[in-house]
Amino acid sequence: MKALVVCEARGGKALDTTFELLEVASRLGAEPVMLLVGEASAIPAAAGRLLLAEVERADAYDPGLHRNAVVEAVRRVEADVVLLPHSSYGWDLAPRVAAALRAAQVSELVALAEGGGLEVACCNGKMRRVVQPATAKVVVTVQPGAFPAGGARGGAPSIEGIQAAPAAPGIEHLGHEAPSAREVDLGRASVIVSAGRGVGKKENVGVVEALARALGGELAASRPVVDSGWVGADRQVGSTGQTVAPKLYVACGISGAVQHLAGMKGAEYVVAINKDRDAPIGEVADVLVVADLLQLVPALTARLRQ
Amino acid sequence: MKILVCVKQVPDMSSRFAPDGAGTWFAEADLAHRINEYDECAIEQAIQLKEQLGGAPEVTALSIGPARVGEALRKALAMGCDRAVQVDEPQPSRLDPWQVASIVAAHACAVGYDLVLTGMQSQDRGSGQVGVLVAEQLGIQAVTTAVSFEHADGAVTVRRELEGGARARVRVRLPAVVTCQLGLNVPRYPTLPNIMKAKKKPLDVVPAASLLSAEPLARTARFFAPSRRTGQVMEGPVDQLVDRLVALLGEKAGAKRQERT
Amino acid sequence: MDATREIYWNVGRGVIAPMYAVALAAAAVFAWGLRQRLRVWRLGAPEARLQPWGARLAGAARAVLGQGTVLRALLPGSAHALLLWSFLLLFAGTLLVMAQADLTAPLLGVTFLRGGFYRAYSLALDVAGLVAVGAVAVLLARRLALRGRLETRAADLAVLAALLAILLTGFATEAVRIAATELRDAPDLARASPVGRLLALPLAGWDGGALRALHRALWWGHLLLAAAALAAIPFTKLRHVVVTPAGLFAGDRRPRGALATLDLEAEGVERFGAATVGDLSWKDLLDADACTGCQRCQDRCPAHASGKPLSPMRLVRQVGEAARAGGAGAALVAEIGADAIWSCTTCYACQDGCPAGVEHVGKVLALRRNLALMEGAFPGEEVRTAADHVEVNGNPFGFDHAARGDWAKELGVPVVAPGEAAGVEVLYFAGCQASFDRRAREVAKSFVRICRAAGVSVGVLGKEERCCGEPLRKLGNEYLYQQAARANIEAIRARAPRRIVTTCPHCLQSLGFDYRDLGLEVEVEHHSTFVERLVAEGRLKLAPGALEVTYHDPCQLGRYRGVYDAPRRLLGAAGATVVEMARSRRDAACCGAGGGRMLAEERLGTRINAARVEMARETGAPVIAAACPFCLSMLEDGIKAAGEGERMVARDVAEIVAERLGG
Repeated sequence: MKALVVCEARGGKALDTTFELLEVASRLGAEPVMLLVGEASAIPAAAGRLLLAEVERADAYDPGLHRNAVVEAVRRVEADVVLLPHSSYGWDLAPRVAAALRAAQVSELVALAEGGGLEVACCNGKMRRVVQPATAKVVVTVQPGAFPAGGARGGAPSIEGIQAAPAAPGIEHLGHEAPSAREVDLGRASVIVSAGRGVGKKENVGVVEALARALGGELAASRPVVDSGWVGADRQVGSTGQTVAPKLYVACGISGAVQHLAGMKGAEYVVAINKDRDAPIGEVADVLVVADLLQLVPALTARLRQ
Repeated sequence: MKILVCVKQVPDMSSRFAPDGAGTWFAEADLAHRINEYDECAIEQAIQLKEQLGGAPEVTALSIGPARVGEALRKALAMGCDRAVQVDEPQPSRLDPWQVASIVAAHACAVGYDLVLTGMQSQDRGSGQVGVLVAEQLGIQAVTTAVSFEHADGAVTVRRELEGGARARVRVRLPAVVTCQLGLNVPRYPTLPNIMKAKKKPLDVVPAASLLSAEPLARTARFFAPSRRTGQVMEGPVDQLVDRLVALLGEKAGAKRQERT
Repeated sequence: MDATREIYWNVGRGVIAPMYAVALAAAAVFAWGLRQRLRVWRLGAPEARLQPWGARLAGAARAVLGQGTVLRALLPGSAHALLLWSFLLLFAGTLLVMAQADLTAPLLGVTFLRGGFYRAYSLALDVAGLVAVGAVAVLLARRLALRGRLETRAADLAVLAALLAILLTGFATEAVRIAATELRDAPDLARASPVGRLLALPLAGWDGGALRALHRALWWGHLLLAAAALAAIPFTKLRHVVVTPAGLFAGDRRPRGALATLDLEAEGVERFGAATVGDLSWKDLLDADACTGCQRCQDRCPAHASGKPLSPMRLVRQVGEAARAGGAGAALVAEIGADAIWSCTTCYACQDGCPAGVEHVGKVLALRRNLALMEGAFPGEEVRTAADHVEVNGNPFGFDHAARGDWAKELGVPVVAPGEAAGVEVLYFAGCQASFDRRAREVAKSFVRICRAAGVSVGVLGKEERCCGEPLRKLGNEYLYQQAARANIEAIRARAPRRIVTTCPHCLQSLGFDYRDLGLEVEVEHHSTFVERLVAEGRLKLAPGALEVTYHDPCQLGRYRGVYDAPRRLLGAAGATVVEMARSRRDAACCGAGGGRMLAEERLGTRINAARVEMARETGAPVIAAACPFCLSMLEDGIKAAGEGERMVARDVAEIVAERLGG
């Protein structure tokens, strides 16, 4: 069995998700072949075989061109499985590849069930499904952070050039917009106290922020909180925000949507404060405190300050 | 101009999910349903475009499922869609994304839409495939994860949300499919007169079989609750919880304080 | 000699024609002016407020003559009541004079103002005049003394000054007449007019001709002033002497808090609530004219007191101003402001304290209905989210609806299946707070323990229970309210319970009153009255334990339902001593959660619950007893925010009782 590992690059650099995809390939017992659609500078430092479809303006993602490159690579290596990261790149590209190959797509792989079943998250992360493809080939997007980095780091792949057929003109890339200036680098914080939808309203964010200060850490927030404008976008943790790896992560009123879990799974120790005993955050928490955060957190902060 | 909005009715995510008899999806009992949040943004975008173009576009909302999805469609009509199509399917969960897309594509092909809007994913299954698959099956362009939307001169300019707060601006000529991310807009709250008018708007019921010819490419073998990481659960009166947490957090954060100095 | 006086003394019967001409002219101006006001009232929508006229007339007469509400403010109330009563007496006296001089004497030759009756008549009018002067003086002095605290316009002072002038010219006319006549001819008779006589004494030595000239001038001055006052009634705050009785006559006779249940499906109806003057009822526009600006509503308004942009008085006046300036089409929301409209807690303190029978709350709700139903508006995003949760999950918090009965499962309280309510004496409607809020759940548990101790079997609706819809209704969203109501009514009807008890006065409002319009007829009771009866009937034995508490009257139970004594008696039976707050019972201050504000963030001004907790703190009682989960939550938050958590706790009466089960 062969697995085509589609590498994602951002800003001309390879992303580490490639190593997670290599791990999945290895657990599937598949021989991995990497594919990079982009420029040579973004080739990941991983030993193995890599197909390079060099494109001009690599930062201007052209879905049709990328699809053609993946399809060509699949043909070239006779891949049975195509692995992509479940990112804005992967979830955009994967269905296009699947449609072209008439292959089943399995989205957001979080684990391999016994017997190699493809386990994916559903119902906002509360539940799991095992998906059974009915096609010979299968396209899989893998949740970032769900698997440890695999493959051989530090090596240099053997590179084969391939040619992707140009796609019919369709989507015109007009440019990128950088995220608004980031005041804090949550990625380097060792204590993070994070506010979720459970804080209820903007005024209550202060309660969480006070705990962060009492613990000498940074305030962070989940996506809904940022969307509501309660906390600035620069403090968002999750798949569309920052990925963090603090020593202590305190999740206040965060239910634990997978998108959020993806951003904080690297935390060493997780304390979750939530009213709902069944909240999915409990899955990754070392301690789940079942309580109303608006009662508990101020009391806790007051005691810590003593 | 004709606009299609694909709407999924999903259980409220606060529900307790339990596997159904076959163990391949959740049991329907005790579930409260609502419109998939992402699709609500798609409806709002369609209505905003209709308003921008002086009411000219006809907006059709389509949903696949049993009679209960009529509630979701009525809400879409109350928000401002002109007509609705319920593709009657007693057990929509048996359809895989490819089949769902083929139903939408078959309908869209027959009507000829200039723009298809839908959510980037559903809250329940969350595969995030249908929008792109519809476009692929129709042979038109798809843009995913839109957080802004502008229409001018037969083209749509969209900001796609990337990671870390970055965005890409892309332009696509119609016809096209656009999938909507949360934050694209704030879906409107239907007014009472519009709720009442919605009751009189056409809602066609079409049997799924009339639109479905594709075979599934995948099926769900098992549906279950994830095994919990063996974390500790603390419950009890707030004062006791505080006592226990102060020591714990002090230890975990204290180690860090030393590190920093 | 028969004690009497010559009517038209000095001025002669020749003045009759000009006098009546002046009076008629004044009456004509009065009628014309009143008609102008009536025209404005008729801009409003029709509303049946005239039947049954007998009972309405009796009620209005009682309110006007008894001055009951007016007297709730002691000093200005007494002054007003005395002024009214004495003016009525003076007016009656004038009518008697006219009756004798211009009707009975010339036509029938009958005179009755003579002898003992005349003496009594004269004395009564003199005393009434003196009282009236005193009352006006007090009111004037109060207006001047309270400048800054009491909004006083020049017109307010002018009206009082005019009344004083009428009274004083009356006395002066009398004094001059007495100086010229009775003092000289019948000094004994002069004693029947003590005030007049006292004022006449210094004039005793005056020349008769001078007195007569002065008398003529004063007589005319008095007449013209009185006529001017009559003519001025429709154009000044004096109009309340006509409009307020009319408003009291047309008052709302339904139980407090009743709201018209809108027919949302009515063919051709595309407008709901009040967007313009014409959408309000004629009584709403009359109210604007009935208002005298006494400011009692504003002084009692919790929103106003906490710095929010709502004054019930200003709102009522703005309605009138909009009507007069813009007619039926005048837009109201822009005039009044959405923030003011959303600030109301529908606590009814304004309306309950209004001596003029003005209906403030109905106007706010009509405006909210328009905002909610026609604009899809909410006071904030968080309220929209809550409303959405009610629609989908049947509770404003967004908890799984199927988990609603979980608390009862833990206690082994049965969920009543359709048709099986016969098995339980009481169907307990827990409400959203008690179902999902950990704190309020303790109240539910206490209630169940109490029932068990009294041998009362209790069942619940479990997941078939939904939010009663009261907060949404008060926020104007009649659509979601009716949706919730119909689901509850169906669930309740299917079970046909003997009696429903709820620990939430908001649920009581819905189930016991509002749902009747939608066809639910079932006995619904608040737990405070139900448990109190269990004690009174001897079914519930308590082991009283001494405790000092202050009791917070929930608006929805007190002013709405008039339940003030049962919770206090119940606390007494439990051994508690109730120390009253500065404002209690009918005058109780709101906790801030009524009118759907429970679901809303309090963004403007200071916190209403903080003010209430401060009043409780002043009593020194360590426990604030409440009888409403909304109040309980607000009071707890207020205690925490005030840093009084060590010294005070908020508890439901059921919790206090449940700790004293025994015997």
